[in-house]
Amino acid sequence: MTNALEVEDLQKSYGDLDALKGVSLTVPEGSFFGLLGPNGAGKTTFINILVGLVRASGGDARVFGHDVEDDYRQARDRIGLAPQEFNVDRFFPIHEVLEHKAGYHGVPHDEAAERAERALKQVGIYDKRNTRFDWLSGGMKRRFMLARALVTDPDLLILDEPSAGVDVQLRRDLWDLVTELNERGTTVLLTTHYIEEAERLCDEVAILDRGRVVTVASPEELMDRGTDRVVVTLRDPPTSTAPLSAVLPGDDRIEDVSLEEGRLVVTARQGGLVAPDLVRELDRAGHEILDMEIKRTSLEEVFVDMTRHDEGDEDGRDDADGGASDDAPLETATVGGGEGSR
Amino acid sequence: MSGDAGAVDLTGFLTLTKREVLRFLRRPSNTFAPPFITNVLYFSVFGVILGERVGTITGVPYILFILPGLVVLGAVSNSFENASFSIFHGRWNEYIHEVLTSPLSYAGMVGAYVLAAATRGLLVGGLIAAIGWAIVSALFRPVPVEEPLYLVAFMLVITLLFASLGVIGGLAASDFDDLTVMNQFILRPLVFFGAVFYSLEDLTPLLRDVSLLNPMVYMVNGVRYGFLGVAEVDPRISLVVLAGMTAAAVAIDVLLFKRGYGLTD
Repeated sequence: MTNALEVEDLQKSYGDLDALKGVSLTVPEGSFFGLLGPNGAGKTTFINILVGLVRASGGDARVFGHDVEDDYRQARDRIGLAPQEFNVDRFFPIHEVLEHKAGYHGVPHDEAAERAERALKQVGIYDKRNTRFDWLSGGMKRRFMLARALVTDPDLLILDEPSAGVDVQLRRDLWDLVTELNERGTTVLLTTHYIEEAERLCDEVAILDRGRVVTVASPEELMDRGTDRVVVTLRDPPTSTAPLSAVLPGDDRIEDVSLEEGRLVVTARQGGLVAPDLVRELDRAGHEILDMEIKRTSLEEVFVDMTRHDEGDEDGRDDADGGASDDAPLETATVGGGEGSR
Repeated sequence: MSGDAGAVDLTGFLTLTKREVLRFLRRPSNTFAPPFITNVLYFSVFGVILGERVGTITGVPYILFILPGLVVLGAVSNSFENASFSIFHGRWNEYIHEVLTSPLSYAGMVGAYVLAAATRGLLVGGLIAAIGWAIVSALFRPVPVEEPLYLVAFMLVITLLFASLGVIGGLAASDFDDLTVMNQFILRPLVFFGAVFYSLEDLTPLLRDVSLLNPMVYMVNGVRYGFLGVAEVDPRISLVVLAGMTAAAVAIDVLLFKRGYGLTD
């Protein structure tokens, strides 16, 4: 299968500032790929190189096998971009803006008009078709950005922070539509600050930080790298962890055992898999378990941990592994229920 | 690709050209009202009131003598302004990205901006000619078109040239003030010293030689030859030189687009 995107050692410098320091990525065709990173990580620079708005200082990028500079016309024709900024033609009503955009991609006028109508209906603003962009509400503007990306019927849909500043209902509508497109074969490249979106939608995510790819993995794999908390309430809790340590399985996934307000707290990687063994051993040792919670790490915690910088840390952290912080409220599971649902 | 590369480029080029033309046609109060009012004033004040005192130049009434120059003034300034404003406004508000992120070739993009801007120049030039024709015909005699082919050729070349220069201006500008500076402090002085309102024969030999360095002299002279059939400089040479300058300006436009000058980071 052709890859939708193949990027090798992509670099971009603005004077002394290195915005991209050798990014390499592969996005398989048909996948839903997330690009996560804090502000200034280089996400938008990366995207803008793909569509020709920024020139790379080095490296290669290919869209469905077409080099973004040498074969720029073929590469750009495969891409639909919904950027963060509202860069829309203000002179024309929105249906004409869409017709023009389709026309630039070689779509004849009649078909362009049909596509514009379809795209406006898809995003739910068809009744505003004769309105100029400036007169749309904020949510409608965001919907229009998606319509403009869709009107060229792209094979690679790039969404740069598409749900920034939109309400919950609109966000759900957007994701339903994009998920449907992805299921029909459109490759989606998403950047977002809403980590839970990437967690819910993406097959694979790349975490970008200070111009470098920190890691590429599925959300599940990333969360497995974080540490979960298994919190057990015992009928007669001990006063120290010493007697408990003896009954706990010799599992190297367990990183810490403590007592907090009379409850046993086991910090472990893949806590959902550790929990059944823990229950079994506690039961075997005669402890009566009243309740148990598994506080699953989130992608957000893993993300924060991977992109955390110590003061004076110039290059940031390139280590792909690392434990997640353990103080955030997370999903819970009932006794024996395994991992919390995502 | 949505089709073969050539078809995509032609459709894209036509779409962008149409978009650019519609942008100014749908705002007639911006596009046609200012040159209409300005030129009615020019013809009335310079042609009718002052013209009576001036009498004739090169054997024609003064108002008829200035008509070709005013047509050139309106045509080139509108061609330049349209291209420079449209590109700079698109850059300023970033909606030029709609074009830049498309599969349209750089030559296709430049061709559309230049052709649309030249169209505006031709329309405004035609409007000014119509105003002049109405006034001159009413007061003196019908306006002649002695060399129609030369007239058409010169009008096409000069509007394309200034549209191409406008593209460079739109790419180079970093502020709206830059556009004003280009138009008011570079373009208009060149036009006014381009023998619009006077004959080169009225100048001292030194000033005449200096004037011949101004490309506007050849444009005004060529259009005047098209209308009146009289020329102070050989129109054939003027046409060849101006056509060469136009080709060079278009080539520079394409190169600048290709390099992303003023367009990409």
